[in-house]
Amino acid sequence: MREGKKGSTGASSLKKKEKLKKTKTNQNHNEEDNNTIITKKKNTKKTAKKVQFEKQEEEPLQKKKQQQQQLPTTDSQSESGSESDYEDFSEDDVSEDYELLRQSEDGESESSGEEVHGNHSDSGNDDYHGLEDHSNSSESHQGVEESDSSEDEVVPRNTVGDVPLEWYKDEKHIGYDISGQKITIKERQDKLASFLASVDDSKNWRKIYDEYNDEEIELTKEETKLICRLLKGKAPHAEFDPYPDYVDWFKHDDALHPLSNAPEPKRRFIPSTWESKKVVQYVRGIRKGLIKLDEPKEEEQRFYLLWGDDSSAAEQANRLSYIPAPKPKLPGHEESYNPSLEYIPTQEEINSYQLMYDEDRPKFIPKRFTSFRSIPAYENAVKDSFERCMDLYLCPRVRKKRINIDPESLKPKLPSQKDLKPYPATCYLEYKGHKGAVMTISTDASGQWIASGSTDGTVRIWEIESGRCLRIWEIGEAVQYVAWNPVHELPLLAVSAGQDVLILNSGFGNQEDQRKVKELLHVQTPTALDDSDNMASIVSWHQDDKHDGIRLKHFKTVTSVEWHRRGDYLSTVMPADILLFLSKKLSHRIPFKLHGLPVSSVFHPTRSVFFISTKKNIRVYDLVKQKLIKKLETGLREVSSVAIHPAGDNLIVGSREGKLCWFDMDLSSKPYRVLKCHPKDITNVAFHRSYPLFASSSDDCTAYVFHGMVYSDLNQNPLIVPLEILRGHKTSNGRGVLDCKFHPRQPWLFTAGADSVIRLYCH
Amino acid sequence: MSLEQFLLAKGISAEKILEIEYIKAVVPQKEEGPSLHDDWVSAVDGSNPGFILTGSYDCLGRVWKNTGSCTHILEGHSGALSSIRIINSDGMTDVTVATASKDRTARLWKFDAEEVINHPKKIQAFKILRGHKASVQSIAPKTSGDMVWLFLLNCIFIDVCSGSWDCTINLWRTNKSNAEGDQVSIKKRKVNNQADESQLEAHGAQSSFSKAEAVSTLVGHTQCVSSVVWPEHETIYSASWDHSVRRWDVETGKDLSDIFCGKVLHCIDVGGEGSALIAAGGSDPILRIWDPRKPGTSAPVFQFSSHSSWISACKWHNKSSFHLISASYDGKVMLWDLRTAWPLAVIDSHKDKVLSADWWRGDSIVSGGADSKLCISSGIYIHFQGKSEIIDLHMEEG
Repeated sequence: MREGKKGSTGASSLKKKEKLKKTKTNQNHNEEDNNTIITKKKNTKKTAKKVQFEKQEEEPLQKKKQQQQQLPTTDSQSESGSESDYEDFSEDDVSEDYELLRQSEDGESESSGEEVHGNHSDSGNDDYHGLEDHSNSSESHQGVEESDSSEDEVVPRNTVGDVPLEWYKDEKHIGYDISGQKITIKERQDKLASFLASVDDSKNWRKIYDEYNDEEIELTKEETKLICRLLKGKAPHAEFDPYPDYVDWFKHDDALHPLSNAPEPKRRFIPSTWESKKVVQYVRGIRKGLIKLDEPKEEEQRFYLLWGDDSSAAEQANRLSYIPAPKPKLPGHEESYNPSLEYIPTQEEINSYQLMYDEDRPKFIPKRFTSFRSIPAYENAVKDSFERCMDLYLCPRVRKKRINIDPESLKPKLPSQKDLKPYPATCYLEYKGHKGAVMTISTDASGQWIASGSTDGTVRIWEIESGRCLRIWEIGEAVQYVAWNPVHELPLLAVSAGQDVLILNSGFGNQEDQRKVKELLHVQTPTALDDSDNMASIVSWHQDDKHDGIRLKHFKTVTSVEWHRRGDYLSTVMPADILLFLSKKLSHRIPFKLHGLPVSSVFHPTRSVFFISTKKNIRVYDLVKQKLIKKLETGLREVSSVAIHPAGDNLIVGSREGKLCWFDMDLSSKPYRVLKCHPKDITNVAFHRSYPLFASSSDDCTAYVFHGMVYSDLNQNPLIVPLEILRGHKTSNGRGVLDCKFHPRQPWLFTAGADSVIRLYCH
Repeated sequence: MSLEQFLLAKGISAEKILEIEYIKAVVPQKEEGPSLHDDWVSAVDGSNPGFILTGSYDCLGRVWKNTGSCTHILEGHSGALSSIRIINSDGMTDVTVATASKDRTARLWKFDAEEVINHPKKIQAFKILRGHKASVQSIAPKTSGDMVWLFLLNCIFIDVCSGSWDCTINLWRTNKSNAEGDQVSIKKRKVNNQADESQLEAHGAQSSFSKAEAVSTLVGHTQCVSSVVWPEHETIYSASWDHSVRRWDVETGKDLSDIFCGKVLHCIDVGGEGSALIAAGGSDPILRIWDPRKPGTSAPVFQFSSHSSWISACKWHNKSSFHLISASYDGKVMLWDLRTAWPLAVIDSHKDKVLSADWWRGDSIVSGGADSKLCISSGIYIHFQGKSEIIDLHMEEG
């Protein structure tokens, strides 16, 4: 009858479940019990033998049950004495249910018994039975599941039911117990005391206040564990296996006596129409784009070696990779014992092999033999195979990295010369007349005349368009430098010869200009020397009556003369120092201390900046503030000439070793480009005033013309393209072209040669 | 290249009938002895069949009757003459001449070419045209197309234009009605009227500059105006160092059209077919000919490139529309026919640069050069009817 009792308790728990929310603590117990009980039940259905055996087995199980049940009951026992009554009641109640349940079960067992015996088989019935079986088992599950919990359940004292507790807020009782007695509220400790008590009590955190029953419950360790597991979303009991192995109780296919012999129903073989409909629906959805399938995300490599060398990995792979040895050459016709005649080298060829290097010499010389018998043994056979083996084993093989780059593409892309026209290219005119090497030339601002100075001691003015010599001055000394005044209204010519600088009146310009020039060239005899005594020794101003000009006497040889753009100032360069003259007021001074001998000087085309080149460096001075602005380091051995771009930001420097430096002064104090083109000294460099051209002349009798484009965009570097080599001068005394100057308005270049000819190269 | 070589080169069978169009090379019949000058001959004018005018670097202009006989010397310039032109070419008796010089002036001269003298007569200028700020490179008289208009005004005006290194073209108008009485210089600009007293004293008369007639200054060129021509009443053509040829409207003073050639231009002449083709030469050995009537293009219609140096002068034949001559610094004067790419004649009589050249009497070429010679090559008979002969040539084998 134990069984029966069990069942009744199960049924009672069903009811109780409706009544009150029970804590889930016991669920696991129930589940565990379930299994055992199910097995038990089934067994009863099978055979009497088994039942008996079962009963024996059951006893320890029941014991276990009771032990477990003790857990909650211990809690509840302390509550009230009326508990026993309640239990009675519930038992009665449940027993009726149980009876019902029993009946249905019996019916089942009957039918199943029939099946077991295999007396008759009904497919429809069988189907029903299968289902029944399941439902039944699940039912019994439930029933049994709840059965134990009744014992575990804490029976609430309060019987008011699920009413808001506010209703009893003002009452002294909180409800009624099962016998209808009022349950009075326990006396409360005041909060402070309770708080203090709670602080002292180490178990306090486990205590929960049950409002409904007005009591404090202390959770046991097991309970807290259960709570923890529930919070984690696991089954409350650790022993519970949520995925038990399926026990197929009614396996019928391979059983000797299957429970059901019914054939597989047809519908299991028919594809489900509903499924196909659903599939069609999805397909339509996908086609219309209503359903979007997630594209598989490409997994990006989240971290990579930022500073890693890309090649290293590949290289490592290469080193480890196997490189097969090259195949030996297959024997050809020439290695035949009797090759055709064309394979046989002639005696001459054999002799020529002797002259070759050992590596280049052919390894095998074909020979003819009349028959196989006459073939001698190959004396190198062992050596060859040995070498082959050596090659196979020991020869290090490295995969050659072939770079497929067209060498043409490595060249910098330069614009074609056609696009850079016009530039001077051919010589059409020669200006002949000098008897010595033409040292220097200078073009007049308008571009109508050119002045030249020569070692024969003359200064000549030529008409550019016709090549006619218009005027000759006999200076008497080799002329070092001539310079036209850049101002149109002052047709003056500065000539340096020996230690003197002469300022000559060219005689051009209209009367007004001439009058002005004459005024300017008039010097009172040395009176202006009072104020600057030390300078007097350096320069003295004299009227030159012979040439109708001014003679500036220096104490050393003057190498070059430069005019300022306004034509008021000119600078002369001596090996010792640089002097600046204010030609109008006839004052002069030495403004700067230089480190090294000055070679050349240039005025800035727009600002009051002055460039002095010494042999190694170029110093940039501000004339207004009188201080050094910049120092350009040429890196050259000896600077020979300097020219400044008309915009004023770029400078070219020619050197005695044939190098040409381009300085971008915004960029750095180092050369932007160094062009090594002349094999001999560069004598002069020149910029064109308006065209993007510059030129260099050299003692190798050539002049080079370059395209030198300076962009107004500061981000763009100047473009330098070599354009043309101008030849034509003959060397004389080891000197070639001594000077080059551009025409101020046309892309024409004048070159002065040591062969006493001035040439004009036109575009 | 001989015909045989040509056939071989082109792979044409000798059996074939070939149509050969050819233009006869012209060989000057006679080289007359050079007229020697003291200095470079920079300008010649042969528009009057009776005499030749030359301008030279010795600041003198000369009148030559035939070769070797200098009749008049135009004296007064202080700089080399750059251009000399006859203003009225209709007679011998009353010849007016304009000269341009590098002393920044242009002068007008008058002489009687008829008078027989065995000693060169020195002539002074009757007008000095001042106003240019730099040397005057070229001077051109207005081609007298409308004499009626001139006579209506009851006095003869001399209209001259001149191009200069100061990038301008000045137009001058003077009346020569009472040239004998008081020497009246009319100039466009009344600057520096006191500076040239010495010049005027030579004339023995006080000039009155009050009648200055500012016709106009044509401004537009950016560099030296090297050559001007005034072929029509309304239009002036000019060539300049700024690589352009411009056509100016005289009345408004605006330039009507530009032709850019890329090279410095030294000489210009207008003539040829319908007197409309512009021939110009400059700082390269190519003589270019433009047709301004051709719309939308500034490319030359003809280019002749047989010279080897700068071209200093070019002149159209005044009757033929196909022939022109060019003088170059390579010492050659070439006669061109527009229909051939090669020169019809190469006159190589100069030893140095040829600075100027002109037609004379329709069948002679006069040229002056840096060898101080005036060369006259006469007897050049050209077919200016423009009919080239076509002959059939049948070549036998062998």
